[in-house]
Amino acid sequence: MRKIKASGKVWAVLAAFLCIILLLLAHRGKKKEIILEFGMFTGSNWDVATANSFVIIDKAIARFEEEHPGVHIHYYSGVLKEDYSEWFSRKLLVDREPDVFMVLGTDFNQFSSLGVMKNLNELMERDASFDPEKYFSSAFCTGQYGGIQYALPYETVPTLMFVNKTLLTKEGISMPDQDWTWEDLIEICERVTKDTDGDGVPDQFGIFNYDWMDAVCSNGGEIFDSDGTQGYFTDERLVESVKYIRQLNELNQGQKVVQEDFNNGNVAFMPLTFAEYRTYKTYPYKIKRYANFQWDCITMPAGTQGDNLSQVETLLMGISANTKEEMLAWEFLKLLTYDEELQTEIFRYSQGASVLKAVTQSSEMESIVQEDMEEGDTVISGKLLGRVIEEGHIEPQFKRYEQALALADSEISNILENDKTVDSSLKILQRTINNYLRQ
Amino acid sequence: MIDRKERFVTLLQGAMLILNVLCVALICVLIYVTTERILANYDAREFLNSISAFPENPRANLIVCMGFMGIFIATFLMRHFWKEIPSKWNAATLILDLIACSVVIYRLNFNYKGLLLLVFASVIAYVKDGKMKLVFVAVAIAGYLVADYELLSIYMRLYNISDYIRYYSYNTQQYLFSIYNILLSLNIILFIAYCVYVINVQRGTIEEVNRLYHELQTANEQLQEYAEVTEHMAQTKERNRLAREIHDTLGHTLTGIVTGLDACLALVDVSPEQTRKQLALLSKAGREGIQDIRRSVNELRPDSLERLSLEVAIRKMVTDMSKVSDVRIHFKTEEKHLKFDEDEENAIYRVVQESITNAVRHGHAKEIWITLERIEGEMLLKIHDNGIGCKEMKSGFGTKHIKERIEMLRGTVTFDGQHQGFTVTAHIPIRWGETYD
Repeated sequence: MRKIKASGKVWAVLAAFLCIILLLLAHRGKKKEIILEFGMFTGSNWDVATANSFVIIDKAIARFEEEHPGVHIHYYSGVLKEDYSEWFSRKLLVDREPDVFMVLGTDFNQFSSLGVMKNLNELMERDASFDPEKYFSSAFCTGQYGGIQYALPYETVPTLMFVNKTLLTKEGISMPDQDWTWEDLIEICERVTKDTDGDGVPDQFGIFNYDWMDAVCSNGGEIFDSDGTQGYFTDERLVESVKYIRQLNELNQGQKVVQEDFNNGNVAFMPLTFAEYRTYKTYPYKIKRYANFQWDCITMPAGTQGDNLSQVETLLMGISANTKEEMLAWEFLKLLTYDEELQTEIFRYSQGASVLKAVTQSSEMESIVQEDMEEGDTVISGKLLGRVIEEGHIEPQFKRYEQALALADSEISNILENDKTVDSSLKILQRTINNYLRQ
Repeated sequence: MIDRKERFVTLLQGAMLILNVLCVALICVLIYVTTERILANYDAREFLNSISAFPENPRANLIVCMGFMGIFIATFLMRHFWKEIPSKWNAATLILDLIACSVVIYRLNFNYKGLLLLVFASVIAYVKDGKMKLVFVAVAIAGYLVADYELLSIYMRLYNISDYIRYYSYNTQQYLFSIYNILLSLNIILFIAYCVYVINVQRGTIEEVNRLYHELQTANEQLQEYAEVTEHMAQTKERNRLAREIHDTLGHTLTGIVTGLDACLALVDVSPEQTRKQLALLSKAGREGIQDIRRSVNELRPDSLERLSLEVAIRKMVTDMSKVSDVRIHFKTEEKHLKFDEDEENAIYRVVQESITNAVRHGHAKEIWITLERIEGEMLLKIHDNGIGCKEMKSGFGTKHIKERIEMLRGTVTFDGQHQGFTVTAHIPIRWGETYD
């Protein structure tokens, strides 16, 4: 017995040594080249055509690899935006998620609540060279869930108001100011809505695609509270917004405005994102759409209790909670989102705006945007763009936001279409939504 | 009988072990297979919407959990095939079990805590030390209470096995839930059966021990009785010897002297000369008689007194007594040159000896004080102890002998057991200088 035990001990010690040596070898082998996985999708986050989605990332990778010898960054190319969510979820389930990755707005809440994303608070505090003040606060806050920073903004896009200049000129109306109001909008709409071909039904309209959520943003209202425990459907600002949309709809005399009407130049206004603005203002896409009339963008009209503000969407990037290279991942994330030089590239190769105040409000940005446009076009000023982004309305981050919003939107559409009394219907909706949120 | 019982305990433990391995395997495999299925169906994003957490890596989870279940199997086999397992190793295997149990429960995100029952079962069977058992059981109970999924999921992000089961169609869900619940219940039923059985076996053992203890006590009492009878017999024997001795020596001598004196009475008128010779002979015989008596008494004298003076003999007795028992005895005397006759020495020695014996045997004393001093033509012998004393004087506690011995020296003796301890006080009149010759 004793003999067996003794020789067993010797074997155990030998085996342990072997393991340690193997581990050391493996470790050294690993040390030689660290591979950092980066998860991204092909194409634009703003659903506009783009050919340059890898240019900025490739530049960033080249710079990062140069600054950090021995580190290699690998990314999967060819995952489409519509497949990205599923692709990433699959990686998650088998513990293969990338170290640094893009997060879709629709995924961020869910992923944060699942603990997939690394809590960045500590990393930000430790990094003396990092100052969150440099970001647009709206963009920065989009990356927060439950008061914790889980992601940093990479690119942001505010919503602007598209104006058909040709139509307005035809009707003898001047371009609205940057600080125009709901009253101005409804007045112009009233003037332009008319029957031009004499068939008895109007075929020229004031506005298309402007919905109650846009109105709430510019009326200083909120739809839900920030932690998703209740809705604000009986709030005066929201009620007023819905009523305003009804007023606008009534101008159309029962006619339904469609995209076709707009494309044909028969609609004066339409909300569109900064990304769409940049895409369709420049070659080659400018000849594809809205080619038969002159157009420009201005801010959204201010509501009676609000300002010329709109929804701001932000593309976020985060770090995996399971990353083994925390510091490198942080450095890379910082390079992508915090480096001014790289962020300037967003104006060159992407369609959004930089999340850094200094970059978006710089004259360099204006000249880059100008390069792509025709000479007669006015470029939205950096200062104005900055204000729209900084003060823009961001979506609250809670787990069931998407579902709750979809429920509210369908109900309000129902109210508007079926001519229900706004006040009482919204009271019912408030109860429905609160019950849903408390489930 | 015991072997059969042990085999049954082992059997129950084995069954629990197999069941637990099955449960853990079921959970891990279910999660692994479901994940594969989700991937194959491209349902990953949809699935993430329906859950609140997911295991980091299902495959690694499966391997790690089954590896740790291997530890359970190894420790189980070790305890059953290594018959004379040292208790240190035994404890080590139990601690190993506890560690493996914690790791597996943690990796399973507290979805299954039946493993703790398995550890419980081993602790009940293998930990003999009461305190250790208490500690182990406390740890296991605390673990069982705390390791609750519903409770912990408030504070921690934990995956839920039900989420994975709910991925399947309703029919399959029902099957899976039933199998899962049956396994859980079976584990609890096995555990209860096991506990009841082990408790029964242990109660049997306790009764057996009580019976044996009772027998032992009876035997002990009998032995004490025998010892008393033996002592009594020895006394009787000694008395018989004394009687014989007296009869043989003193009786013989006195008979001789009486006969000689009768002869002298007859002879004194006829031949005074002859009578004188006869008287001289009688005197000689008388002396020889005294010698004989002295010799007989000498034979009864304690060995120590034969060779040593009384004081030294008492000191020796005190030292010897202290050596063989845990009693501290203090002997004090002012009289440096104690000079007594042999019978006095004997009596004092015996009284001291008897008193010490009484103090130890009946009084359970821890300390005894002996003083011997001279007060106005009397010797005062005092033996005091700190034992339990004696509320009621009973004869046969050796006091009778003491009384007899002291009265033989025309002294008086008193006993006091009412106050602290027990005190023997003897007054003996001094008759220094008196001799028999």
